[in-house]
Amino acid sequence: MKRYELIVIGAGPAGLSAAIEAASWGMKVIVFDENVRPGGQLFKQIHKFFGSKKHKAKIRGFRIGDTLLKEAEQAGVTVQLKATVMGVFNNKEITVMMNDQIEHFKGDNILIATGASENMITFPGWTLPGVIGAGAAQTLMNLHGVKPGSKILMVGSGNVGLVVSFQLLQAGCEVVAIIDASSRIGGYGVHAAKVARTGVPYYLSHTIIQAEGEDCVTGAVIGEVDDHWQIIEGTQKKLDVDTICLAVGLSPMSQLARMAGCEMIDEAVKGGLVPLCSEYGETSIPGLFCAGDVAGIEEASSAMIQGRIAGSVAARRAGYILDQEFAQKNADFQESLAQLREGMFGAEKKGKNLSHTDEGIPLSLTLLQEGYINEAEIQRFPGFSETISSETKTKGVYPVIECTQNIPCNPCQDACQQGCISIGDRITSLPIVTDKEKCSGCGMCVSSCPGQAIFLIEENYEEDYVAISLPYEFLPLPQPGEQGLALDRSGQAVGSAEIVKVRQGKAMDETAIVTMKVRAKYAASARFYQQLEGCLSGGSTEALAMKGGELE
Amino acid sequence: MRIKEHPILHTFPKGVTVPFFFDGKTLEGCEGEPIAAALRAAGVMVHRHTSRFGQPRGIFCAIGRCTDCVMVVDGKPNVRTCITPLRAGMQVQTQYGVSAKEV
Repeated sequence: MKRYELIVIGAGPAGLSAAIEAASWGMKVIVFDENVRPGGQLFKQIHKFFGSKKHKAKIRGFRIGDTLLKEAEQAGVTVQLKATVMGVFNNKEITVMMNDQIEHFKGDNILIATGASENMITFPGWTLPGVIGAGAAQTLMNLHGVKPGSKILMVGSGNVGLVVSFQLLQAGCEVVAIIDASSRIGGYGVHAAKVARTGVPYYLSHTIIQAEGEDCVTGAVIGEVDDHWQIIEGTQKKLDVDTICLAVGLSPMSQLARMAGCEMIDEAVKGGLVPLCSEYGETSIPGLFCAGDVAGIEEASSAMIQGRIAGSVAARRAGYILDQEFAQKNADFQESLAQLREGMFGAEKKGKNLSHTDEGIPLSLTLLQEGYINEAEIQRFPGFSETISSETKTKGVYPVIECTQNIPCNPCQDACQQGCISIGDRITSLPIVTDKEKCSGCGMCVSSCPGQAIFLIEENYEEDYVAISLPYEFLPLPQPGEQGLALDRSGQAVGSAEIVKVRQGKAMDETAIVTMKVRAKYAASARFYQQLEGCLSGGSTEALAMKGGELE
Repeated sequence: MRIKEHPILHTFPKGVTVPFFFDGKTLEGCEGEPIAAALRAAGVMVHRHTSRFGQPRGIFCAIGRCTDCVMVVDGKPNVRTCITPLRAGMQVQTQYGVSAKEV
């Protein structure tokens, strides 16, 4: 039997962070993970994270994963892969299956950071090949470079459903629809909006009735549900899809904690059965900690802080950190964690049907029901209303920020070197454009916004034309001089567009800034660009005719 | 079904292309990638048929948890193809119940 000062179970964001923290204070740490690669789900997260600088905001998940692995190596953490922890027993002893053999370890402290598993819903045909978890889609396309399917139905509009839908588009798949039995979109409005503007329709209050097909999925039937979740007769609709992706929530994988005898609690807001934990993540068994999704479903950002907290507590207990130093460190971690839990999607407000932002502005209902903000609603938000005005002939360029929900995120404020954008100390506040005159048009706010909700408008670009700069993360990248379609927030074509500039750079981290020239009357409506051929959802000039737009 | 160029990840680090056998047919995949990824890229959807009702099953979780994608690999049944790396010359067979079809 080998002994370690800290044994970590799970090499995801929480586990690695705990191991790095503890090892950097000098503890002898080992991490076990059943997979062939460390990092948990981080390497499938190709989007930019939310939060503030200290939460690694605007950095893509897989890059955070790379950093964690480097830090773990530097700190001297041993990561034992292909090692399945089978049991946690009395006196913090564990058994681990490695190379078809069972080995026995003892930890002075143990951290369980086993994460979560995906929830499923059952319906006729749900076992057919082609019905997959949203995580499976991410694994296939983002790790292995294989498209999970061609035409996808996404079931679930939480952040996982929205983020994976966007990633499917990036991989070159068609997302036929996003459905949710709830009457409101569950995830961030900005995630919903960046998918909606590519033309993907949302069906809220809709559920899946059946997956069709003999050997694999060849179609799906969806239908609208009433207040009692029953299908309303006559609303059934057939969708031509080959893949059905389930993104219907996550459940903590807390079996090891339960097996160890930790006091458990079943809490809906945490996603199910979780160990009862102190502010340090310590369970009812002294020295046995939990961090990350296993202790309650949250984001990778909070998992990393929870891991740091558990790691530093273990280090203090073992005498590696002085009390005063620990107190300061812990206070910083707790504050950082509290920030991420604030806002409309934090535990306190989760699942509540809010009607207004913290600022007292009525929320956009089309955003909650159809995935985009309609033109009338956007006018009342501070990032928008303080800029565009049809009366004055503004010269020069300025940002328009279509961020309308209180989420913990502030990279735009840091990105603007000119000081045009303000969020203030409370990172869940809506961003305000404080001084549009100062805008240099550099575009750093556009590329730094993890929600892709910032646009630059240049009025009077040419007589009767404006230039709109937007974030663009698809291939092929438009080229200057190219003619295409300007789409509105719902993905409907409003008119023709000409690409006048395309910017890329290291600081933009793969978010290109595409500038299109459109008629001035579309300044407040055109928010996406569609290429005429080989574009995202197979659009064409006919699409414009079908959508009733005008081609000039 | 392979993503040739990705806007964020560009290309995917892959092993060399190797041949393997799927129910006797020769297919190609990248060495080291999960067998399931190679099969999906080759358009194979059905990995096995259940023992009692003969229902088809394929990839579901893709991380080795659900066991829906198990197949007979090099004669060994119940191999989780989503987490088992592909090697040149592997014999991959559709699983019926817990065994391959008698030839």
